[in-house]
Amino acid sequence: MSDRLKIALTKGRLQDRSVALFERMGLDCTPVKDPGRRLIHQIANYPLDVVLAKAPDVITYVQHGVCDLGVVGKDTILEKGGAFYEVLDLGFGRCRFALATRRGSDFYGTYKTRRIASKYPEVTRAFFERKGMDVEIIRIEGSVELAPILGLADAIVDIVETGATLRENGLEPIEDVAQVSARLIVNTASMKLHKAQILDWIGRCQQALAGGTEREKGG
Amino acid sequence: MDLHITPPEGTRDRLFAECLERRQVQAALVELFRRRGYAEVITPEMEYYDLFVRAGSPLPQQAMLKVIDRSGRILVMRPDSTAPIARVAATKLKGLPLPQRLYYDQAVFRLGDAHDGGSTETAQCGVELIGAVGRKADVEMVALAVDALHRCGVEPFHIEVGHADFFRTLAARLELSAEGVEQMRACIEGKNYAALNDLLAGVAPGSARDALARLPYLFGGVEVLEQAAQLAGPCKSLDYLAQLYEELDEAGYGRWVRFDLGLVHQMDYYTGVVFRGYVQGAGRPVLSGGRYDKLVERFGRRAEATGFAVDVDAVGSCLEVEPPRLETVIHYGQGALYQALQELDSCPPGTCELSPCRTLNSTLNLAREKGAGRVLVLEKTGRRWLEV
Repeated sequence: MSDRLKIALTKGRLQDRSVALFERMGLDCTPVKDPGRRLIHQIANYPLDVVLAKAPDVITYVQHGVCDLGVVGKDTILEKGGAFYEVLDLGFGRCRFALATRRGSDFYGTYKTRRIASKYPEVTRAFFERKGMDVEIIRIEGSVELAPILGLADAIVDIVETGATLRENGLEPIEDVAQVSARLIVNTASMKLHKAQILDWIGRCQQALAGGTEREKGG
Repeated sequence: MDLHITPPEGTRDRLFAECLERRQVQAALVELFRRRGYAEVITPEMEYYDLFVRAGSPLPQQAMLKVIDRSGRILVMRPDSTAPIARVAATKLKGLPLPQRLYYDQAVFRLGDAHDGGSTETAQCGVELIGAVGRKADVEMVALAVDALHRCGVEPFHIEVGHADFFRTLAARLELSAEGVEQMRACIEGKNYAALNDLLAGVAPGSARDALARLPYLFGGVEVLEQAAQLAGPCKSLDYLAQLYEELDEAGYGRWVRFDLGLVHQMDYYTGVVFRGYVQGAGRPVLSGGRYDKLVERFGRRAEATGFAVDVDAVGSCLEVEPPRLETVIHYGQGALYQALQELDSCPPGTCELSPCRTLNSTLNLAREKGAGRVLVLEKTGRRWLEV
């Protein structure tokens, strides 16, 4: 039985923010910042191994118990679902899911079946199901904004940070679908088998998060 | 013509070591269950869909594998064994005195998500104690769960116990809509601390709110019962669990028993003590059970009941079973069959086999190809060993 916890971080922006958080917690993250070709990085001054993965894979690794912990965006959690504990809102990576249409179009003012393009078909389906609306959902992999411009869809459901991309393309958000931020997730069996270690880790995260916001307020 | 000869998604062929693991776990469990007075029932692999609707099955419809029968009615491949056994207990066994101790050793079928690595078919071994209410029955069941994992030989493991009424009592003290209670239950089950705090922010302060906020943390050793009592005040379900633990501990089971008061899954189904088993090496619970006092009644006979199921393959995959290696090939001549079979039967299974070859040379080639170390030659004139 290994005494080291394993955490999967979402590559990219969430990775940088996670590393910044870990450094506030006093962890030596040098190997993660300079990964080279290694895939598993050992933190020298805390019993923690870090792996970097694409967001949906973070959930997969945690759900199957090969990683004890994971940092992943709520957007991926909403889209992919799964059985794990979602223990902490890490506060960074904040954005929202929004429904956006071409500027000036009246999305709700018709009985016609509307067509929605999204990279997040499951989030879209759940949103319109709550509203009791039948919609056609089309999965798009790249720039979703193209779909309404080309006339493929009446609206899109997508991640919105500043709304600049939407504006530049003549689209506007008309409704929030869900708020998104990075979450700390835990495998259900690990939580039970390594309770002390994992609660210690969660406590350290909480402390660092609280410290961080105070400093931001102070500055 | 494009004919599919691979097994359908979610199903698999199991070969050699995987079969040995499954059979070893099944044999250990069945032996234990029978020793404890449980009798086997085998229920049909297919049942009417209606049966599981009537049972109030917490499984979503899309997780059940459906078949249409000749008359156009919907059948499902049995997604769990408890509902069919509750039906049997309420109908075929109606005349028998309670309690009835029943066990099963049969697969259940549940459709998982695509590309999730999950199997549609899960081998389960489980028990149902029907018509017994009260602490003695619950103690017996938790002790049996400990013994079950112990006999399977997976260490370390533990059984985690909760009580469906603890959450219900706390939730009832708050004035919440049914929807609000369900949202809260989901947050506690998912240990979603952040969302739970948001939900509780709108609730009047008090001991129930404090206890609910801490509920996802209330798991671990017996000390969590005291922590919970300090937060929530006196509570029948906590006293019940404390007494349960005392009896289990006295019988030597204490070291395997832990608690999780946030065990609040399938609340419409379970009515009292609920428990799960965790093993090092398995990413999900390998044993799951609890008290379901209302289920048998849905089929027409009032009988409180409790039981659990073991996920046989999840336990099996924590074992390291080595399949036997072929060591000896027997080449026998005219009139030496009896002797050859005697030799074969005296070897450990899987380490020896008969050669179907006519010439000794072919047998030697066969032994070489199969990696056997030696050939036993049996002829009327005598026996000799050849190294390969």
